[in-house]
Amino acid sequence: MPRLRELQLGLVSALLDGDEGDFARHIRAAGLPGARRLQIYRNNTVLGLTDALAAVYPVTRRLVGAEFFQYAAAQYITRHPSRSGDLHEFGEHFPLFLQSFAPAAELAYLPDVARLEWAYHQVFHAASHPPLDVAALARVPADWQGALHFQLHPAARLLESAFPILRIWQVNQDNYPGDPTVDLAEGGVKLLIVRRENLDIEFQVLEDGEFSLLRALTTDGDFAMACERALATQPTFDLPACFQRHVLQGALVAFRLLDH
Amino acid sequence: MTARPALSRLGPGPIPARAGIGLRAEHYDAVLETRPPVGWLEVHSENYFGAGGKPLDYLERIRAHYPLSLHGVGLSIGSTDPLDHRHLAKLKHLIRQFEPALVSEHLSWGSAGGRYLNDLLPLPYTKEALYHMVARVARVQDRLARPILLENPSSYLQYVESAIPEWEFLAELANRTGCGVLLDVNNVYVSARNHGFDPSAYLRAIPRHVVREIHLAGFTVNRFDDGELLVDTHNRPVWPAVWTLYRQAVQRFGPIPTLIEWDTDLPELAVLVDEARRADAILEERHAQAA
Repeated sequence: MPRLRELQLGLVSALLDGDEGDFARHIRAAGLPGARRLQIYRNNTVLGLTDALAAVYPVTRRLVGAEFFQYAAAQYITRHPSRSGDLHEFGEHFPLFLQSFAPAAELAYLPDVARLEWAYHQVFHAASHPPLDVAALARVPADWQGALHFQLHPAARLLESAFPILRIWQVNQDNYPGDPTVDLAEGGVKLLIVRRENLDIEFQVLEDGEFSLLRALTTDGDFAMACERALATQPTFDLPACFQRHVLQGALVAFRLLDH
Repeated sequence: MTARPALSRLGPGPIPARAGIGLRAEHYDAVLETRPPVGWLEVHSENYFGAGGKPLDYLERIRAHYPLSLHGVGLSIGSTDPLDHRHLAKLKHLIRQFEPALVSEHLSWGSAGGRYLNDLLPLPYTKEALYHMVARVARVQDRLARPILLENPSSYLQYVESAIPEWEFLAELANRTGCGVLLDVNNVYVSARNHGFDPSAYLRAIPRHVVREIHLAGFTVNRFDDGELLVDTHNRPVWPAVWTLYRQAVQRFGPIPTLIEWDTDLPELAVLVDEARRADAILEERHAQAA
């Protein structure tokens, strides 16, 4: 008699890899054949995971249509199976998957639209954070300020694309009132996606310098380096005003001084 | 240990022997605005595993008005993979945050070899599986520092290897671990029709004292050329035959907190409240008998 372990591995493989014939011998064929019974479970799994993916990627689904999305989802489920009992974690690799998914190759902007939706999903469920302690920041001596590192709000993401993905996202919302056509020639966009205290999610279109500043500040760079990068990207950019705005509006929530 | 006040700071405490409804995101605003007269609410634990944002905010506001039950669908407790400690940690955190009166999971598994099907798959009912489940349930209860309820799943297949009827397996598991039973009467009916056993005999085999909660939902009939299967779809009202079986369950187990579950093709909140009212009427009759 097979051990529990073997039965479980066998059933997962039957459902995800399609080795149904082999597993059917473990199923009592009373009434209906085993293959028919397995089909119910396969449908449940594929439908459940497709629904989870559709909940995170509604715009992507709308762009390709329900039928195409279902096909893509079925491929994705096999190639990047769910790794958690918490469905919120499912779908992280979908943008990357779409990038190499030949049937979608014509829609060059699609992976970036999916990236926007994944970022939105993360922002939606991320932790809250109190605002930055501005008084403490003001007390940092001037000659130490260049070495400050900053933290982006846990419910904020920076995203850039060579395509007008924000416009594509907006016109594909239910009940969008305006003209739903987007001219791809309008070019790329740099975005800050941030959740406000009332829990609504906001998109801010950033200037080149602003985007460089925030990205450098919240990844590897200290304040001095981030300023340098931002000004190199956009020499005319009003850096002090921009920095202050993102502190006061809550995109930057904490700072620390690293030891030299 | 310090004594806890009977009424939590969050809202009402114990779950009354009345009907409740499953709370879904589509009904958040309607529940807050209309405060439907249902005895309690149940949510899927994993829907609140996020670190913040709207789902948790809504749950906190709604929790202030209703007793709460946390119902897990993703722990994969019957899997032979190691228990997911991150999942348990999130569940424990959620329990601390919302102080639910009941915490439940399924007599099932949903993953093996690290791959999740995110579905409720049946176990083979063997001695090996029973020992495995006894150890897993004990570990989960230790980790959560409280007893859990386990729900009988709907099933569409039986393993050739199964040697113990599901009702015996479930009763023995409750007996050995002290876990309670969440008796899903619809699932009993669905599995009985799919596998050809007597659903009333299932009820009679479950000890009276272990059932702490009952679930009711609607199923769908899938017809094929070579037969039919009932599928537990939670997308329609409770079927008449399931109401009949529910009356039998309430006769046997007494007035037990009963949940109306509806997950897909969700109707207006009022439809769920009506279904709950129907269950309440049956519970009332039983209360009257007991008095």
